[in-house]
Amino acid sequence: MKYHLKSLTYLFIIGLPTLAFAQDSLENALKMPIEKKNVRATFKSTKLINIQTNETIYKNEMDFRVDHRFGDIAGSGGGIKNFFGLDQSTDIRIGFDYGISDKLSVGIARAKGAGVVTQLYEGNLKYRLLEQTDDEKIPVAVTLFGSTTIAAVKASTDPTAVNAYSQFQDRLVYVVQGIIARKFNNNFSMLVMPSYIHRNFTVFGDENDLFALSVGGRIKLTKRMAFVADYTIPFRNKDKKAYLESTSGNQFYNTLGAGLEFETGGHIFHLNFTNATAIQESQFITDTNTSWLKGQYRWGFSIARRFSFDKKKAK
Amino acid sequence: MQKLFFTLVALFLCTGIKAQIWVSKNVTSSFFSSTPVEDIDASSKAGASAINTKTNDIIFKISNSSYQFKKKLMQEHFNENYIESDKYPTSEFKGKIVEQIDFSKPGTYPITVKGNLQIHGVTKEYQAKGSLVITGDEAKATSAFNVKLVDHNIKVPTIVFKQIAETILVKMTAIYQPKK
Repeated sequence: MKYHLKSLTYLFIIGLPTLAFAQDSLENALKMPIEKKNVRATFKSTKLINIQTNETIYKNEMDFRVDHRFGDIAGSGGGIKNFFGLDQSTDIRIGFDYGISDKLSVGIARAKGAGVVTQLYEGNLKYRLLEQTDDEKIPVAVTLFGSTTIAAVKASTDPTAVNAYSQFQDRLVYVVQGIIARKFNNNFSMLVMPSYIHRNFTVFGDENDLFALSVGGRIKLTKRMAFVADYTIPFRNKDKKAYLESTSGNQFYNTLGAGLEFETGGHIFHLNFTNATAIQESQFITDTNTSWLKGQYRWGFSIARRFSFDKKKAK
Repeated sequence: MQKLFFTLVALFLCTGIKAQIWVSKNVTSSFFSSTPVEDIDASSKAGASAINTKTNDIIFKISNSSYQFKKKLMQEHFNENYIESDKYPTSEFKGKIVEQIDFSKPGTYPITVKGNLQIHGVTKEYQAKGSLVITGDEAKATSAFNVKLVDHNIKVPTIVFKQIAETILVKMTAIYQPKK
C-alpha cells in the first residue's frame, strides 16, 4: 500500500503539467523562446548638440548633415545690433556619413571652423564596439569615434598665432572618443564620453595632448520630439590654462548645449543653444572661450537626412 | 489499487498520444504597404501558431520586433514609432476555423478564420479566407488579409503620410505538425 501511495503521488506529479496543459492548451503550445536582442535607437541621431552619440549609420545608408551656429545672442557681441546673433555664423559644417556595415561608418565633412583656424576638412570613422542587450547581459553600448581634421587656412607669419604652421603636419588634429551609452527606457538615454585630442601644433604654452570628459542625454517629450543636452569638460593643466588665459586675454569654458530634437521619419532636426562657437570636436572641446554667463550663447540648428542605397530584398 | 494505477497510466498515455493540438513554430508573415511614392515590405519568420483540431480553435503569436525591413532605419522607426514593440512586443490572433476540417484526411481545404486580432494593443474582430493543405503528418495554412492602421491606433504623421499606406496587406504561411 505504501508503495502504491508513493507511485500515485509520483503519477500525480507527472500528470500535473498535462492537466494544466489541457486547460490552456493552445496558449501553452506557443511558448516562444525569449530571444536576445540588441537595444535599438538609444539616440535618434549620430550627434546630440556638440557631442557624438553611440549611433552609427546602418549598412548602405548615408546621412547628410548640416550643422549651423549663429553669433552671440546677448553680451557685448550680441543683442539687437546683430539681430541676436542671426547676422553672424560662427561655424557651419556640412558632412556625409556612410554605413560600411551596421557597425562601422565612415564620414567626411567640411567646416568653416571657428576662430582663426578655418577651412577644416574632416575624415572620421565610427565603430560600434559593443551593443546594449535586452536581457541586460550587456548593460551599456560602447562606440568608438576617431577623426582627423586638416585646417586649410593660410599659415600666419606671426609666430605666436595658433595657425603659424611651418609644415603640413602642423595642420592636423586627431580626436579619439569612447562613447558609453545606455538606454534606460524608451524615453531616457544617457551617455558618458572620454575624449583624447592630439594637436600637432598649438600656441606656445598649450598642451598638444588634451583629455576631456562629456556627459549627455535625451529625454523624449513626445514620440517624435525630445529634449537633448550635453556638457563637456576639458582637462587642461592648471598652470598652462592660467598662462594661456593671461597671454590671450580669453578664458576657457566648459561647453553646455541644450535643445530640442525633432524626428520626422528620415529627417532629424535639432534646434539648440550652446556656448560653443565651433562645431567640430577638434575645436569646441579645446577652444571654447565663450560663456553662458556672459550672454555668449547662440542659436544653433542641424538638419540630418538619411538616404538608403540598399536595393536587396529583405531577408 | 493496482488496477487503478494501470488505468491512470493508460489514461495518461492516451492524452499524450492523441494529437489534438497541431503546432507551427515557424510561421512566416509579411506585410506590404504600397503608395505611389514608396513600397514598403517586411517579413518575419519568428511567429508561432497552434490549432486544436477538435475544437477548431486557432491562435497566432508573432514577435513584432522580428520583422525585417530592407531599410534598417525604417525597421527602427517601425519598432520605435509605429508598432511600439517595447510596449506591445507581440501581435496575437485568437479565433476559430469556421469549417469543420478532418485533419486525418489529406487534401486541400478552403478555410475561413474568424476571431480577434491584437496589434499595437488594440483588439479587433477579423474574418479572413485562406487555404489549408493537409499531407499526412503536415498541414500548411496560408492566408492574406488587410489591416487598416487606424483600426489599431497606429498614427502616421502627415509629413510621411504619402510614404505609408492606410491599409496594409498581411500575408501568413504556417506549417503545422501534430504536437506529440
